[in-house]
Amino acid sequence: MIFAHRRLRRRVSLLAAGLVSGRDEAEVRAHLETCARCRAEHEELRAVVATLASDPVRTAEPGIAASVLAARVLHDVDRLGALSPRPRRFLVALPALAALVAVALVAPGLLDRFRPQPPQAARVTIPKAEASQLLSEDALARIERNVAREQAARYLNEAGDVLVAVAATGVDCDRADGSLDVGAAPERSRELLEKRRLVVDAGGEAVASAQSVLDDVELALRQVAELPSCVKRRDVEVVQKDVEARQLLMRIRLMSRELEG
Amino acid sequence: MARLAAGDRDAMAPLVERHQTRLYRIALGYLREREDALDVVQEAFVKVFQAAPRWDGSADAGPWLSRVAVNLSIDRWRRNKRRGQTFAPLVEGDHLEVLKDRGPAPDRGLLHRDTGGTVARALRALPERQRAVVVLRHYQELSLEEIAATLGISLGTVKSSLHRALHRMRETLAGGGA
Repeated sequence: MIFAHRRLRRRVSLLAAGLVSGRDEAEVRAHLETCARCRAEHEELRAVVATLASDPVRTAEPGIAASVLAARVLHDVDRLGALSPRPRRFLVALPALAALVAVALVAPGLLDRFRPQPPQAARVTIPKAEASQLLSEDALARIERNVAREQAARYLNEAGDVLVAVAATGVDCDRADGSLDVGAAPERSRELLEKRRLVVDAGGEAVASAQSVLDDVELALRQVAELPSCVKRRDVEVVQKDVEARQLLMRIRLMSRELEG
Repeated sequence: MARLAAGDRDAMAPLVERHQTRLYRIALGYLREREDALDVVQEAFVKVFQAAPRWDGSADAGPWLSRVAVNLSIDRWRRNKRRGQTFAPLVEGDHLEVLKDRGPAPDRGLLHRDTGGTVARALRALPERQRAVVVLRHYQELSLEEIAATLGISLGTVKSSLHRALHRMRETLAGGGA
């Protein structure tokens, strides 16, 4: 009796949801005849299903004409289409920067030819439009600095997304102990920690103002990186409390804005 | 979908006509907020348009669209939760003020009825996956196998999720709140 009760308990729920038929249904109904507790539970679950069946959302209408919605969709498609082929600013700058560095390494004197020279009597004047395209050392340094800061901002935003995903997870692992599913967050944290080295090493002085946030983010990511994908609720709470105590999400947001200029 | 894949933009309206109500009910069942649900539907069709060139033509777009709508609803739910806005428009009292100024729409009168609010509270108490299973079963009347295919999870997980969801909803409804 106890074994049958345990075995059939899930099917009692499915019967209430209208998802058991044939021999299975006969078996569950026979059990309900002999088990008062399951019978009561079945009735209560049927009441839940009846409540869901009377929810007005089941018959709700969007209240918008298909042609209007289609037009909005196409408008979005056009807008996104116009945006998507355009990579981020720093990605545009990267190949140009790489080319300039390569040229500087291979032919150190070559860049000097493009630098503005002191006025000379017989010097050919460079037209204004052409001159504006030349890169001085300052401009090069500015590009490098902007690239470093944008990379750091991007890293912080991605880290923020991982921390939010862990702290806000409500997905359980379908285990009896109520463990929570943090999905790919640990793996993502490990990737970001690898990326951090590049951001900090390459960033140098350009990201110095972000150092304390970067350090705290690193600590939080290390915590997440050590988690399994299915984690005990209290472990998630530890991360959550740590993030809250350090006001990390707010600081990430403010710092990435500052870095992005 | 074949016309869309060939770049025929006029094919969008019939596709929207065919699927929008179903997708809207999935999103509204999950999110319980009209504007969010409409955004999700719109976004789902944008994804369809973007994916159309890769469509193999052999499958029905319906289940895939449902999956996109569920995933977008979950994303939206998480974003709202981060901002502390989840379900806020449907909490007793507040939503009446929010909806009052927006003028009439076919389902707005229904949304704040007692049953809608009661179900919203019970759904709010569910984890994401359980809520998705309940919405697909009780708002779309999908079979267990269809739910498993739509959500990309096993049949056993669908059964246990539904079982737990119904029990949790029973407790919430019996307790009179979330």
